[in-house]
Amino acid sequence: MELKMTLPLPHGGRLVDRVVTNPRAGKKMAASADAVYDIKPTLYNGMPVRNVYREIMSICYGFFSPCEGSMTKAELERILKERRLLSNWVFPYPMLFDISEEDLKKLKVQEGDRLLLRLKGQPFAVLDIEEIYQIDPKDLATRTFGTPQANPEVVKVAFDNKHPGYNIYSSYNRCVLAGKYTIVNEPKMRSPFDRFWYPPAKARAEFQRRGWNTVIAHQTRNVPHVGHEALMRNAAYIGDIKPCDGIIVNAIVGAKRIGDYPDETIVEAHEMVNIAGYVKPSRHLVTILLWDMRYGNPLESLLHAVARQNMGVSFHMWGRDHAALGPYYDTYAAQILWENGVPSFGFDKPPYAVDYGLLMRPQNMAEFWYCPKCTEVTYSENCNHDKERQRFSGSFIRSLLAEGVFPPAVIMRPEVYKTVVKWWKILGYPFNNKKYLAERENELEIDLADMKL
Amino acid sequence: MNYLAVLLDAKRLADIQGTALEKKVTDMFGGAIKALIMEMPEEQTKKVLSAFPAARLDARFFLEEVPIAVKRAIFEEIKRAKSIEPKVIDAVMARADQLKEAVKKESEYLPVPEID
Repeated sequence: MELKMTLPLPHGGRLVDRVVTNPRAGKKMAASADAVYDIKPTLYNGMPVRNVYREIMSICYGFFSPCEGSMTKAELERILKERRLLSNWVFPYPMLFDISEEDLKKLKVQEGDRLLLRLKGQPFAVLDIEEIYQIDPKDLATRTFGTPQANPEVVKVAFDNKHPGYNIYSSYNRCVLAGKYTIVNEPKMRSPFDRFWYPPAKARAEFQRRGWNTVIAHQTRNVPHVGHEALMRNAAYIGDIKPCDGIIVNAIVGAKRIGDYPDETIVEAHEMVNIAGYVKPSRHLVTILLWDMRYGNPLESLLHAVARQNMGVSFHMWGRDHAALGPYYDTYAAQILWENGVPSFGFDKPPYAVDYGLLMRPQNMAEFWYCPKCTEVTYSENCNHDKERQRFSGSFIRSLLAEGVFPPAVIMRPEVYKTVVKWWKILGYPFNNKKYLAERENELEIDLADMKL
Repeated sequence: MNYLAVLLDAKRLADIQGTALEKKVTDMFGGAIKALIMEMPEEQTKKVLSAFPAARLDARFFLEEVPIAVKRAIFEEIKRAKSIEPKVIDAVMARADQLKEAVKKESEYLPVPEID
């Protein structure tokens, strides 16, 4: 009986690597394009809610292996019906390169052509067009997330324009160019994101360098409070013959909602947990994933599992309201998926038990709260002091910060709070506001070298 | 029933010292935070959420992320009425239009706290 574990294989068996690192080769590929298109953000009510460049980055650097590009019509249909790629591997979301009919007419491209995609005025990637087809964005949005009628196991309320993920898909352009992406101008990650950039191949190399064979992932879009820290530490007691060697925090970096914390604050606040020694730096690594959150709870958990398995992660903690927003999904939808499956989404068994599924062991966690009687942060399945307990609330903590209250150490580590204040000073505001979101959309997370064609 | 926590710093605690409100102060997180917890009927909650869309109801059924200007106004009304009854919120909502102006400025600027 073998109990010791090693890092899991990538999803699909091999890591996608579609980044040309030789500048001469990249330039040659860029110059061979039939047309040029400047990438535009997806807008909802005039605000950027998605930039397809993040999908291109995550695909080409292997986070979304085995997906290699914008999906064909047949693959899109299979995703929406069964959450499988045409190669049968589990995959939750449509990945599409959408453009307006007007732009398509101007480009005059057809199947078999190569389209050069420019970003920030520079060549960035090419798309080798296999198919051009049309979508109905509202239908795409509805079918992506499911409906109470079609997916009654987990969808409780019909999706509408109060849901940011629904707004992303319903704002897509009607024309889709399907085909593989290749990055031809290797990007340079901007500070402070550069030190958290661990594409799958680099993450695996780093895990091996650290001697990690078992790694658990913590999903975040938030500044950590003490409850998050307790969740991380305790979930990591799972492992093989000993607790997990490593804990990775994988922060989602991309377009977010007004009122959320800025990405810069999030990544550095998590890093501060290890710098200040609350979890040893040798056991804790903060990383990022470029992705505009869809807030798709069980479906988002699948995407997280794909990206993190590709990074070499074997375990994933799933909590209440995972990557969720509003009343649309069951509070425990992600845990339902990972415990029993959701047949209407194509999972008669959990994603780790189906053919072509994930090699990811779920760690479904209940809640951590502060108990004044226990005088510590306790697990809800241990502490029986229902009257005394105090639940952590991200909204409550944001209210504290906005009122200028230094949060007590039982809620937020002082070093973490000081990181929030550091970015508050730099950005002029503690949370995302219109100004910040517009500036971020201009700067994005990468810079590209000047490439003259 | 929903709730709204009005945080009490040293100045606010001094403001209610000696009044009946003192007995209503609740310890949160083992006494690390002191607050007045108001009960918020459903109808009033809806009114606040509709007037101030940044506010949200969290998993504890607490109304949070209520703009600072509104929170300040709530405390002023509490102090005036010496009460945490729903009429306090009615008084604040009567000033909603005026508060919206202050809230607008708040979405662009919040003073950075002075810390070491």
